[in-house]
Amino acid sequence: MLQYVKVSIDGAIIRTPKGTSILDTAIEYGICIPHLCHVPNLSDIGACRLCVVEHIVNGRSNITTSCTLNAAEGMVVRTDTEKVRKLRRNLAELLVAQAPNSRAIQDIAVRCGVKDVRYPFRNENCVLCGRCVRACTELWKARAKGFVGRGKDRHVDYPFGTRPDFCKQCGACIQLCPMTITPCNGPMKPGEEHLCGNCESQLMISENAPGGCTWCKLGENFACGRYA
Amino acid sequence: MLRLNSYRELEHLREQLRQQRQVYKTTVMICGGTGCQASRSSSVIEAIRSELSKQGLTDSVRLCVTGCHGFCEQGPVMIIEPGNIFYCQVTPEDVFEIVFHTFVKGKVVERLLYKDMVSGKSYQMETEIPFYRAQDRQILSQNLNVDPCSVEDYIISGGYSALTKVLSGVSPEEIIKEIKSSGLRGRGGGGFPTGNKWSECREAPSAEKYVICNADEGDPGAYMDRCVLEGNPHLILEGMMIGAWAVGASKGYIYVRNEYPLAVKHSRIAVKQARELGLLGENILGSALSFDVEIARGGGAFVCGESTALMASVEGKVGEPRPKDVHTVVDGLYHKPTTLNNVETWANVPAIMLKGSSWFASKGTQGSKGTKILALTGRIKNTGLVEVAMGTPIRTVVFDIGGGAVDGKAIKAVQTGGPSGGCLPVDKFDLAIDFDILAEAGSMVGSGGMVVMDEGSCMVDVAKYFLTFLQDESCGKCVPCRLGIDRMLEIITDITEGRGRPEQIDLLEELADTISQTALCGLGKTAPNPVISTLRYFRSEYEAHINNKKCPAGVCKSLITYSIDPEKCTGCGICLRVCSRKAITGEKKEPHVIDTELCQKCGVCISECKFDAIKVA
Repeated sequence: MLQYVKVSIDGAIIRTPKGTSILDTAIEYGICIPHLCHVPNLSDIGACRLCVVEHIVNGRSNITTSCTLNAAEGMVVRTDTEKVRKLRRNLAELLVAQAPNSRAIQDIAVRCGVKDVRYPFRNENCVLCGRCVRACTELWKARAKGFVGRGKDRHVDYPFGTRPDFCKQCGACIQLCPMTITPCNGPMKPGEEHLCGNCESQLMISENAPGGCTWCKLGENFACGRYA
Repeated sequence: MLRLNSYRELEHLREQLRQQRQVYKTTVMICGGTGCQASRSSSVIEAIRSELSKQGLTDSVRLCVTGCHGFCEQGPVMIIEPGNIFYCQVTPEDVFEIVFHTFVKGKVVERLLYKDMVSGKSYQMETEIPFYRAQDRQILSQNLNVDPCSVEDYIISGGYSALTKVLSGVSPEEIIKEIKSSGLRGRGGGGFPTGNKWSECREAPSAEKYVICNADEGDPGAYMDRCVLEGNPHLILEGMMIGAWAVGASKGYIYVRNEYPLAVKHSRIAVKQARELGLLGENILGSALSFDVEIARGGGAFVCGESTALMASVEGKVGEPRPKDVHTVVDGLYHKPTTLNNVETWANVPAIMLKGSSWFASKGTQGSKGTKILALTGRIKNTGLVEVAMGTPIRTVVFDIGGGAVDGKAIKAVQTGGPSGGCLPVDKFDLAIDFDILAEAGSMVGSGGMVVMDEGSCMVDVAKYFLTFLQDESCGKCVPCRLGIDRMLEIITDITEGRGRPEQIDLLEELADTISQTALCGLGKTAPNPVISTLRYFRSEYEAHINNKKCPAGVCKSLITYSIDPEKCTGCGICLRVCSRKAITGEKKEPHVIDTELCQKCGVCISECKFDAIKVA
């Protein structure tokens, strides 16, 4: 028997099975919380931190990621306060400065209200969201790739750097990778990276309309309500 | 040794051992801790051992190789009882003199006594020395007369009596109540009330629970956990047993980093001895408590000091933190309720149970009780381990115990709490060492590291140092910690190399705020503290770097130039010879000049110049 609990997200009282993450609950209900590393049916690791929300406990607000916060009776969560928007914008800015050559990340940056990138662009190929690693490990039980190294040297690789036999080249990792779709105007060359901002026209008034949707490329993979 | 089956057998053994010890007239306690071993204490110990057997004194003089005494600056140190005679900086060549004069004739070797550098006064007794006099050594003093490899020593000094007291009629609820009313707070950095942690863990529903001792100390300049664990491992075991009884755990782990070989060795020996005596295992001392401890060695990752990363590491997984929306006291090691405490926290437990919570609560301040061990390092005369009551002002620690700055320079700041802590300027030195007061001032007590900096330290460079450390040690799992710290370091490097822009200070502050609110684990959340605190108290230095392109302390190489003061230069030619870049030119007996184009700012000329003629600006 499923146990249901009631949680309040942005003032809306939502009934949801106990233990569902706040992120899933909110998406199901149509409240869009930007997120990157979360994939339905995979475990949540809280790596990208984009889905931060304010969780209000006894009048004190805690900043935490909604993908790892499980719904409990009477939980009060705010997803669109000034504080959350600012933190989200700063995180998206860090991501887009690291990997501008991805439509998904450019979309997220626009969606989170990044107007200007204050750091030098880096043009990296991976933001270590870990979608590929978890899909390979959890969905296909192949464990053909994992994280290697620590801190700055952390990267995704095959065991000992060579493709093992148990990788069946199913391509699930490529499907889920946010880096595979380049920005609409094509890949940016090193030195020419910029904030794309093409999708901005699709936003209603990005700052004033909470939940403004860019029909972001990631939405397709997330089973976002708007694509259904 | 026989297995002990009851409390009475332990008391009997204690009495027996005490009587055996009475044959020794003299005891010499020499430090065999890592600090003193670095000053060659092991060769001194060997020399004493062979000299004693040569003189036939092995039956009347007891040689006790102990853990750290605390005064690492003066190592190797030894104390001779009776008389409390304190010898420091002992070399193997001094051993004959010590054995002959002190042990045989009962005289003091004046030459080896501690001499105060300022007053020039010699001190014969350990307790008189200013470094020790101002301290309140509750835990460290137990290191002095215990050989860490000998459970007998620990039992003689009253060890395991807190355990017998607890097992023979204190209920787990009463223990937790006692710990709560003592006001003991976690010594590892967070300062979380230990009693609350224990009661939450006790209330968590599970048949299997764990206790863990966190000895994964990795702050630059901090080593108190190492010294307590390698100096008195049975004390930690006793604390863990009491904790296990209180929370209902049957298995414990000591997570110690492999870079502490002595601590690993000593704790392994201690566990083996305790098992042999029946102090670990089934039905300890005939009571209902069954408890065993295992040593888990860590690979030395700083992030494994964080509770969830540590538990992942014990489980054999990659040491990475996981989200802590459910606390580890409910869902910890192997998803079972787990109580994780720092070495020093465990070390405080036996004394609280033995002497009562009111004794412990009588020391310290309103919010922070008991004593705290601090690792005093940096540009200071007396470096070493210092144990003071909570609430002692920083000034007392730095000036009275630490003896002030070396080379007559002025002290500028103290960095407390390691990479998660902050820098406090000299005008904040009247603040008490207290969890809440220091946190309010933008720093923290943390694990207890105290790095003293003098006017030759550039605070921007200090922030850069800590960021480099944190960037190396970040696990890289979450975006704010991995990318945020990297960007902060990028900005700070820009500032120290003269490319800084005024708006970058605001960006630093905003980034620091983002990281501290959104990072995954406690270490990431506190990672921007070195930058936040230096920006708060030393903003003018940042501004000088950015606006004037000058480093006031003369540390940041891109912003300084070397020049020779023609008034002071005698033309001796020493600098000219040592300069590897041949940047200095000049005729003999004529003032020299430095070619700033060629100069690499290595500083060799400064250290060689006898006339203080080379200026850095």
